[in-house]
Amino acid sequence: MNIIETQDLTKTYGDFTAVSHLNLHIRKGSVYGFLGPNGAGKSTTMKMFLGLTHPTEGCFHIDGKTYPSDRVAILKEVGSFIEAPAFYGNLTGEENLEIIQKILGLPKSSVSDALELVGLTQFRKRLAKKYSLGMKQRLGLAGALIGRPPILILDEPTNGLDPVGIHEIRTLIKSLPQQYDCTVLVSSHLLPEVELMADDIGILNHGRLLFEGTMEDLKTSARSAGFPTDNLEDTFLAMIDEDNRRGGAGR
Amino acid sequence: MNLFSLAGVELKKIRRSKILLILLIPVIIMWIPSIINADMNFDTRGIPITPENNFFIQGFMGMVWFMIPASLVVGTVLLTQTERSNKGILKMLSLPVNTAKLCLAKFTVLILLAFAQMVMTIAAYYGSAAIASQMQDYSFFLNPLYVCRVVFSLYAGAIPMAAVFWMIANLIQTPVFSVGIGLASIVPSVLMINTKIWFAYPMSYPFYLLMVEYGRSAEGVYETQIAWLPWLPVAVLITVIALGIACVRFSATERR
Amino acid sequence: MTVALETKKLKRTGYFPAFLAGGLLASAFPLINMLVRAETFTTLPGDPFIILMDANWQMMAMLNILVCICGACLMYHTEYADNGAQKMDVLPVRTGNLFWMKFVIAALVLALMVAIETAVLAGCVIHWFPSYEFDALELLKSAGFQWFVTLPTVMLMLVIASACKNMWVSLGIGVILVFTMSIFPQDNLILSLCPFSSPYQTLAMAAESSRVLLFLGICTAETVAFGVLELVYQKIRRCAE
Repeated sequence: MNIIETQDLTKTYGDFTAVSHLNLHIRKGSVYGFLGPNGAGKSTTMKMFLGLTHPTEGCFHIDGKTYPSDRVAILKEVGSFIEAPAFYGNLTGEENLEIIQKILGLPKSSVSDALELVGLTQFRKRLAKKYSLGMKQRLGLAGALIGRPPILILDEPTNGLDPVGIHEIRTLIKSLPQQYDCTVLVSSHLLPEVELMADDIGILNHGRLLFEGTMEDLKTSARSAGFPTDNLEDTFLAMIDEDNRRGGAGR
Repeated sequence: MNLFSLAGVELKKIRRSKILLILLIPVIIMWIPSIINADMNFDTRGIPITPENNFFIQGFMGMVWFMIPASLVVGTVLLTQTERSNKGILKMLSLPVNTAKLCLAKFTVLILLAFAQMVMTIAAYYGSAAIASQMQDYSFFLNPLYVCRVVFSLYAGAIPMAAVFWMIANLIQTPVFSVGIGLASIVPSVLMINTKIWFAYPMSYPFYLLMVEYGRSAEGVYETQIAWLPWLPVAVLITVIALGIACVRFSATERR
Repeated sequence: MTVALETKKLKRTGYFPAFLAGGLLASAFPLINMLVRAETFTTLPGDPFIILMDANWQMMAMLNILVCICGACLMYHTEYADNGAQKMDVLPVRTGNLFWMKFVIAALVLALMVAIETAVLAGCVIHWFPSYEFDALELLKSAGFQWFVTLPTVMLMLVIASACKNMWVSLGIGVILVFTMSIFPQDNLILSLCPFSSPYQTLAMAAESSRVLLFLGICTAETVAFGVLELVYQKIRRCAE
């Protein structure tokens, strides 16, 4: 069963098409890796899911609800983390989470739970503006995970983290569906990273979906299309490159 | 989530912003000349007013004309910049809250700040009245009920103006413009108050109310009755329209 | 060269339009005043230009000060909002120079604003006082004086804005200063020489009490002193941070 589905989802800014006729299918209880180079339209798609930007065309359903009529209902089920960490610099990490906790109507314990989950407990009393990039990133993640929502939308959650941090967060994301039965949509521009976390992947370039399916499907289709398959990074790069060449002519 | 708990959340967001300090300083400063020139209150230049009433009205003059509107403008900057400086607004928009409610909660905080300033003003008034009384050996104290009634009527008169400033802050994303328009709109209120269409200019409401109070304590200076019509309906209309526009336009650029 | 760079930073911030709008708005005061109640002024004896200055300059000066406050806040807001200032700190430029360049820009746009205002005032005089003999030198002197006595305010406000990373703090301080100086009595000489108060002084007022040179001298001193203060402050901040 698909928990998130899009139909011909399109977003244009003036004459620039950020997302073009996207048809995504995200299975309930899976980790869906959303892959693409910078500027491919990953963030725009995620922002549309969160109602931060209106689709120009097409529609999407999240858990049977549609935007914009069920905006608040959708957001109640979604924990999100959007590109640059969004927080209040004059508040401590803990206070930032308390704000989210109050708005979501969660128990007070959820704050310490979320802090623990991302490993920020020891820095909870520090002002968010004094946080390092990695800590800000973790705070953003905590804001997404708080209350353990059934759907998580994470935009490049490992950006700015050190290798240990990346590993921790990856392991955490991977374990989430089993831990509390949620669906994760996670974006990245690194294929090896997605490979380690995701059950399904969708590859986006210039706003168009190049591929959607499991990792195995990707290998099969790459092989049949003549792309290198021994190294997935090369597969990805070759696919993007091929698309850029075709797209460059067609555009 | 109801408006009040949301306003509580909004209050939390402005912790450590030093806004109360910024609101307090002018409140203290405005009484300094009043204390220094306390003896001038006895020289009423033929205006039939008691020295204690004179002290009260003159002290509040600068407050209603300039400081209440200016504080509100600074308040709107605080509220918008708190959200924008670290993109806190993006997080807020991806949480299940009604944006109109969020907008109104912020407006509530704005008028709560103004309320806090009014309470500080009353305290500062009694403090300076005490000092002036000591210096001049004359009681400058007025009945607390009277003082509170006047101050809170000034406060109520400032709410439509707050709504207009809040609308401007939401309509105009460039902070310098919203602030500039807000501050510039204060200057002509002295002129507006003497025209027939003063009721259409919310920035002059508190000033008008104080002038009526002046007229009541000193015969012949100004009107003694508040002209409720057409003022009240116009004020309500302006407030509702301004808040309506503010809610519609709230965080419009972030939701492009 | 750095002036050009600093000017570039202000692109699309609304800085220049704000000053232009401020100048036009301030110019509206004498115009409206004359349109509504011209006879109040035309019947007064004396130099018509001075009559109009006396009638309108208090408000116009206040608007000028407010625009200068907004301008200073904005200049440093663009620096601090996305950590531009931090980048500037690590580039091989003297931050003190950057500050002075900002002052030069602020002073130039203020000059433009005062010029617009003086031109409109002169226009009003020519239109409503047919007997008036146009004297460009007098107008220039007046505009120059009004511009010059506003400079300490511009400088001090830039110092404040550069010290506060949060715009509402610098804005709040600026607004408090305007308010403070406007409630203190204007007839006190020392107070009238202070920044945020000196812009209200008109050339005619100063000439009457033969204090023109005093004002020019003190304002120069204040402007330079605040500028030096900023340099010292930057040194201290560098050590403290």
